[in-house]
Amino acid sequence: MKPRAPAPPLSRLQLRWIAALLACAQAPLILHMPAWIVALGSGLVVARIVMPERLYAPTALRRWLLPIFAVATAIGIRTQFGYFLARDPCVEFLYILLGIKFIEARTGRDGMLLVCLALFLSLAQFFYTQSIFAALAALPLLLSLGGTLAALRSGADARPWREQLASTARLVVQGVPLALLLFVLFPRLAAPLWGMPFDAGASTVLSDSMSPGSISQLSLSDAVAFRVDFAGQPPPPSQRYWRGPVLARFDGSGWHTAYRLQNGTPSRSSEFVSTLPRPAVSDPLVGPINLIATLSYDQQLFARTPVTQTVRYTQRSILRDSFSARDDNPRENLRLPRTNPRTLAFAQDMRGRAASDSEYIRALLKWFRDEPFVYTLAPGQYDRDPVDAFLFDTRRGFCEHYAGAFVVLLRAAGIPARVVTGYQGGEMNPDGEYMIVRQSDAHAWAEAMIDGEWKRFDPTAAVAPSRIERGLGAALPASEPVPYLARLEMTWLKSLRLHWDSVNYQWQRGVVGFNLDRQRDFLRDVGLDGARPWQLVVLAAAASFLWGLAVLTVVRLRRSRVDAEIALWRSACRLLGRAGLVRRQDEGPLAYAARASGRWPQWAPSFQRVANAYAFLRYGPPGPARGKLLRELETGVDDLPSARALGRAAK
Amino acid sequence: MGPSSGVASWPARIRQRVWRIAPADIDPVVLRHSRIYILPTARGVALMATLVIMLLTAMNYALSLGYAFVFIVGGLVAAALLATFRNLAGVAVSPVAAREAFAGSELAFTLSLASNARDRVGLSVAAQGGHAQMLDLPAAATRPVSVSITTRGRGRHTLGRVTLSTDFPLGLWRGWAYVHFPLAGVVYPAPEAGAPPLPPGMQGSDAHRSGHASDAELAGVRDYQPGDAHNRVAWKAVARGAGWYTKQFEGSGGQGALALDWAELPAGLDVETRLSRLCAWVLAAERETRPFSLRVPGTDIAFGQGASQRRTALSALALFPSASAR
Repeated sequence: MKPRAPAPPLSRLQLRWIAALLACAQAPLILHMPAWIVALGSGLVVARIVMPERLYAPTALRRWLLPIFAVATAIGIRTQFGYFLARDPCVEFLYILLGIKFIEARTGRDGMLLVCLALFLSLAQFFYTQSIFAALAALPLLLSLGGTLAALRSGADARPWREQLASTARLVVQGVPLALLLFVLFPRLAAPLWGMPFDAGASTVLSDSMSPGSISQLSLSDAVAFRVDFAGQPPPPSQRYWRGPVLARFDGSGWHTAYRLQNGTPSRSSEFVSTLPRPAVSDPLVGPINLIATLSYDQQLFARTPVTQTVRYTQRSILRDSFSARDDNPRENLRLPRTNPRTLAFAQDMRGRAASDSEYIRALLKWFRDEPFVYTLAPGQYDRDPVDAFLFDTRRGFCEHYAGAFVVLLRAAGIPARVVTGYQGGEMNPDGEYMIVRQSDAHAWAEAMIDGEWKRFDPTAAVAPSRIERGLGAALPASEPVPYLARLEMTWLKSLRLHWDSVNYQWQRGVVGFNLDRQRDFLRDVGLDGARPWQLVVLAAAASFLWGLAVLTVVRLRRSRVDAEIALWRSACRLLGRAGLVRRQDEGPLAYAARASGRWPQWAPSFQRVANAYAFLRYGPPGPARGKLLRELETGVDDLPSARALGRAAK
Repeated sequence: MGPSSGVASWPARIRQRVWRIAPADIDPVVLRHSRIYILPTARGVALMATLVIMLLTAMNYALSLGYAFVFIVGGLVAAALLATFRNLAGVAVSPVAAREAFAGSELAFTLSLASNARDRVGLSVAAQGGHAQMLDLPAAATRPVSVSITTRGRGRHTLGRVTLSTDFPLGLWRGWAYVHFPLAGVVYPAPEAGAPPLPPGMQGSDAHRSGHASDAELAGVRDYQPGDAHNRVAWKAVARGAGWYTKQFEGSGGQGALALDWAELPAGLDVETRLSRLCAWVLAAERETRPFSLRVPGTDIAFGQGASQRRTALSALALFPSASAR
């Protein structure tokens, strides 16, 4: 081997391409990064581009300064998070590292390293969001990736950037079928390869405790909690109770799930299928949901593993207001702290006047209906004995107040009861034939054990019936800050947003939610469910081969259209060749036509016409006349005598 | 393809097909899939390794869009492979000519590259051990390309195997193909550096008189160099003890025809030195536009002048059997 010449420094053009690539990798992350990270990381990229050329060669100072700077940044991120070796700090560090490496990049090798780092960083944006916009945000990166690689290619001369982008786009489009194939067939994992870091996705959902104000907080959000496809008719609005965490433990002001006590270990909210809907009663679970969830004795659905992504499952529910309570311990649902004395006294008084538990409950609901209770998102603060204060002083509350107070009233009268949180309502999307349930549909209600059966009671329905029938927006006065979509008016904006949600739903379902189960479904749908892995590999290999052939062929067809005149001329030459007059290698079109005219003088004008048109198309100046000439050539070739006629004439 | 003889053993035929060891190609060679090899470049490997890491990350975090992104970039890489292939496939290579060279310098060969209906970008053509020549080839164009090999000794040098390669469009894949034409060029002996001046010429058309320049005027003397003709040494000066000088003449005799003769060189010179000196003299004669004849053992070139005379003479020197061959 010869000694390798020192690598040439990055040219201005290469630097610009790399800068564009880095910008495309960093831009989608700007919203997810702290301001100082964005300022530093993107600032360094810009700095390199505006830096005068004579400063390119790194001085000894810069060679020392940059690593020190990198370490300082790492320490800064460590301070901000309190840890470093986790997903988010590493993404932030990578963001800045791109800028630091770009400042000192000198050779094509550095350029390639930057390309790899930028690719990885652009993957990181999907940690934060997998929306349609996130997917679109990755497209500019793909285009600039091709441009950068082409610019880094050794000995490449500068092509105009538009042309470069167009050719990259062609390559990307050619690769899409292969990408689609891999996306569908590549095996998905049921569990992470290595431990899922604890900072993976935490969003506002129902939690395992309910204090006054927690659900009204949730109600302010328009975010989609879940979407439901129904096999048959969707249930009427009054039946749309999507059951979530069951809260049986009351500490005087807040409600908590009982599991904290039972297991002795604090359960994390993400272990709940807290966004999973289920109507009041589920029959023994059927189908694939058994794989991902279990049903507890109090009819709560728990995911078997932490829910870190959108889960899609099938479930059958029986719509009844009551279900058997034989597995429950009634005493657990009777405990009351010795607070709220007025409420306890009131309950005992009421129960004394009622003949039965059911009658007592009816009386209570009537009382809620008749007394001047106000259903509001802004009930104000209750400090001591909150149930007393709510029931007898302010009488302003949201569903969690009504449900909580109702259960306290039942327990005080010796009826086992508990709070159930979840969602109530849902809106059919006219586009997608599916139901959207939003966080603003979050709700709380009560269950009471009567005659060995749990029955659902919703005191909020007694106070604000329209909440149950028509949703939050209808139940609250117009002055309340309800999320926009909860208001019922079907404005064009709302219809637009519903259309958009439909698109989003398909996206979530088909692309983002394409997990192990969806893949299995898909393979079953196309009849590949019994296929062994090696058969799938063979299938993928065969399809890739066909893809390669197809791309090569399509490109060739397109080429031949572009060079129509060559094809036409060749066919004319072949024709004459068959008739015995083969064109010599060094013979131009005019000379060949002259020779043909010499042999077949009767067709001389035809030969001249074809040769002239071809010669002008091939060697003449480009211009608008090309189209006309091409037609001229085409008709000229068509008018040529057949090889047989030529052969006869020659004899 | 090629005149593969039926007698060649299977391994030999496979070796020939893979490595193109023998100069068996006849013109023109159109590059097709059977000749084109493609492997990822270092950059391609780096990018694919990055994609693997990204895929593992997407798997771990169950990022569907991560999968999609990795696969789309993967599709781009695969499409680049096809583009690299297309950039080479269909190029027709034919041998054109061998140039001439002096031993120690580079011997250039001319090949001709023709494209079909497709633009070719960034083709690189290199002979073994030679510098790569980069060129672009527009659709339907034919371009000469010159490849060179470095030479050491004189004689007939074959071009050897030529590699056509490209890493267009993204530099992630290198596609290459071998062609091996039976093309050879003649390498002349290296002209002797500081060779003695030309022997004296002959008068006018009287080409057969000996090289004595008795009728020319003595122009002066210069320092003797080993190898100067004995009859031109200034013997008187030697006898005086003044040192060794060689007489130089001037006049019409200096412009006359030259008879360059192996036999007239001083005895004791080895073959290669003789050839080098004769080479230098042929070049000098050509420079001074003097007709010359050349006589080396086995070859006798009559008086003549011009490019063909020069080529004939130099070729005779180049192809003179080497000492080891005799």
